[in-house]
Amino acid sequence: MNTIQKKIWMLAGVVIVMMFAIWLMLTFYNQKMQDQYNDILQRYLQMHEVSDASQQTVTNLNGYLTEPTERTANRLERSQDRLLDAQAAMLGLRNGENEFTLTNYSNMIESFNETVERSVAFSGQADNEAALTEFTEANRISIYISEMTLSIFNSELKTYERFYRDIIRQSEDLDTMGILLLSLTSILLLLFTYLFSLSITKPVHQLTKAANELAKGRFDQPIRVDSNDEISFLAKTFDHMRVNINKLILEIQQKAQVESELQESKLLLQQSQMRHLQSQINPHFLFNTLNTLSKKAYLDGAEETSDLLVSVAGLLRYNLKRMDHTVTVQEEAYVLKQYMEIQKARFSDRLNFHIELDESALLYQMPSLTLQPLIENAVIHGIEPKEEDGRIWFRIKDVEGNVFIEIEDNGKGMDETRKKALLEGGINPQEGHSTGIGFANVVKRLQLFYGREDVVTIESAPGKGTKIILKLPKVMEVENYV
Amino acid sequence: MRRKVIFVLCSLCAVLGFFTVLSVNKVLHSEWELPETAVSGQERFRIVVISQELDTPFWKLVDEGASKQAEKEEISLELWGSYSKNQEDFLKQVEIALHSKVDGIIVQGLDTEEFQQLTRIKAASYGIPIITVANDVPVEKSLRKTYVGSDHQNAGKLLMEQLVSDMGEQGEVVLLGGTDLEYSQRLRLQGMEDSLKKYPEITSFYVDSGSTVEEAAAATRQALNEHPNVDAFIALNVRQAGTVMQEISSRTELEPYYIYSFDDGSDASQLLAEGKLDGIVEQSPEQMGEMSVALMMQWLRNEVVPLDSAGYITDIRIVEGKDGLP
Repeated sequence: MNTIQKKIWMLAGVVIVMMFAIWLMLTFYNQKMQDQYNDILQRYLQMHEVSDASQQTVTNLNGYLTEPTERTANRLERSQDRLLDAQAAMLGLRNGENEFTLTNYSNMIESFNETVERSVAFSGQADNEAALTEFTEANRISIYISEMTLSIFNSELKTYERFYRDIIRQSEDLDTMGILLLSLTSILLLLFTYLFSLSITKPVHQLTKAANELAKGRFDQPIRVDSNDEISFLAKTFDHMRVNINKLILEIQQKAQVESELQESKLLLQQSQMRHLQSQINPHFLFNTLNTLSKKAYLDGAEETSDLLVSVAGLLRYNLKRMDHTVTVQEEAYVLKQYMEIQKARFSDRLNFHIELDESALLYQMPSLTLQPLIENAVIHGIEPKEEDGRIWFRIKDVEGNVFIEIEDNGKGMDETRKKALLEGGINPQEGHSTGIGFANVVKRLQLFYGREDVVTIESAPGKGTKIILKLPKVMEVENYV
Repeated sequence: MRRKVIFVLCSLCAVLGFFTVLSVNKVLHSEWELPETAVSGQERFRIVVISQELDTPFWKLVDEGASKQAEKEEISLELWGSYSKNQEDFLKQVEIALHSKVDGIIVQGLDTEEFQQLTRIKAASYGIPIITVANDVPVEKSLRKTYVGSDHQNAGKLLMEQLVSDMGEQGEVVLLGGTDLEYSQRLRLQGMEDSLKKYPEITSFYVDSGSTVEEAAAATRQALNEHPNVDAFIALNVRQAGTVMQEISSRTELEPYYIYSFDDGSDASQLLAEGKLDGIVEQSPEQMGEMSVALMMQWLRNEVVPLDSAGYITDIRIVEGKDGLP
């Protein structure tokens, strides 16, 4: 990651490298110039050395001639050596232009030396006059040497003039370059610094804007920062937070909705409980009234009516109590008989009820109020439309692990489509049903209770009556299936 | 705003960068080369031409010829000398050349004791050959190897013949010469006098014109006073010819006079072109330069030993003035 620290380091690095480069260049150039100056100065100093040495030699020669001792002789020799060294050095200064002059110069030094030697020799031979003449000669040559030195200086200056002017121009150029470099570096630094500060402040600015948006409650806009440093990291974290907050808000909203729905359904539940309680009160009142009526009928001697009322009351009680419980097949059959007694009272001779019970099948469990709606159907469709000789068969058989319950009438029967519709619950219960529980309801309950589909079979054809067969598995103990 | 700042900075950078690159280039690529220090491998012969009159076109031509020959011979040659016949300086130059042990000296002869001393003793002790050029010195007095230049005696004769052919065989001629006549001038005078012997009708007077301009002017005036019927002036020294003519023209017409001189000065060709001079004897300075160097090299290379001590004569010819004669 490109961190801010790295950026600062880079900026500093660039500055240091630039300064170092400039320093190196200037140093290199200064060194070069210095070398040149040294060379030039060296040339002049070497030339001067010759004339200086020759003059010294003359002085020493004079000293020797006036006082020829070991000491003065040594001194003279030393100065002569110095002159010869200078002469040798002069040869290094030759170039195309001054070759002629320098050769002359060198030869002149030689001549000078020879003259000095001669003078010393004459002095040794005590020929003082000749020695003095040679001394004068040497002195003159020394003067020529000095003059020639000057003229060499002169020609040197002429030869090197362009070069010297170049050096001057160069140093001026160098000054210009220095100023230009300085300004270029300054501007470059300004540019770098500006870009660098921008790379820090721009993301911060963007982040601030995003934060403002969040503060105003707009959590849906993603936070974007064009950067790749710590601020970008901050922005990502910030964005993450924004997403989380957004999620939380949505969750809270959902919860609130669920809550309100729950409240509503609670209210509905209370209402329905109320209704239920009310509806319980009414049948009990009815039930008690029926019992009272039965007693009254009995006291009045209408025993048959009294029995009928007892049946009705029992049926009613059974209806009220046992809707959500399992009962034995026996109990169910009992209720059925009671119901049929009531129906018999209603239809008298028009109804013939035949019942066949297999005792071994009576102990198994089954949902309550399943047979009553079926027999009611049989009565309504089989007996009611008929003038006479209406028959209903009710059989309970125990066959190979299943309890078979058959309810058969000799009514008008039904065709295939009707049969199918009946099984799928497509027909609404007709008015007049006592319990209001339709055929489909029964079929459904039985299927749910036993967990299988093939519980109910209908055998019927138009004009040939209807036979409903329940094939119930044997179930002994079921607490409560609802 | 941001873009503007960046743009301004960038363009500044570009401009400065451009100039900086130019400047750096200039600094980096400027010539630091010192003049060639390499010296030609073998030692070349070093020859010095020394003259007393470096300022005259005559000697420039001598130098030209000598330089040309030197280039051909592949030797080093330098022209030294003094200006305006500064004898002291001239002798010093000769002495320096001797002490410098040059291989050969080509010198304008000077008929003085010091010059002869130098050429005879010093040159001999250093073993340096000396050739005189343009002006000779008497052979017996110097140890010069040879002389290269005009035959001055012949030149004098030539000029006099010209005068006679221009003027006729009778008349008065004034010969103007400096106080200290050079060897060459003496030869010229001698030549002219020899020639005049053939013409008894022509009378000649020698006038000492001194050595300065004023003295020359005075001498001219005096000559005009003493010899009112003079027909011709011959200036042995061309430097004085100008002065003579000026003096004549300040007094009377210049035209009727025949004025002649010898060419070895600066004024001659100009005066000739203006038509004031009626004729001069022209020498061949270039030839002198060439020949002297060639002879010196022959001597140094032992090709011609010994050189003809009588000298090697270069061409001379009469050049007449433009405006014709009176």
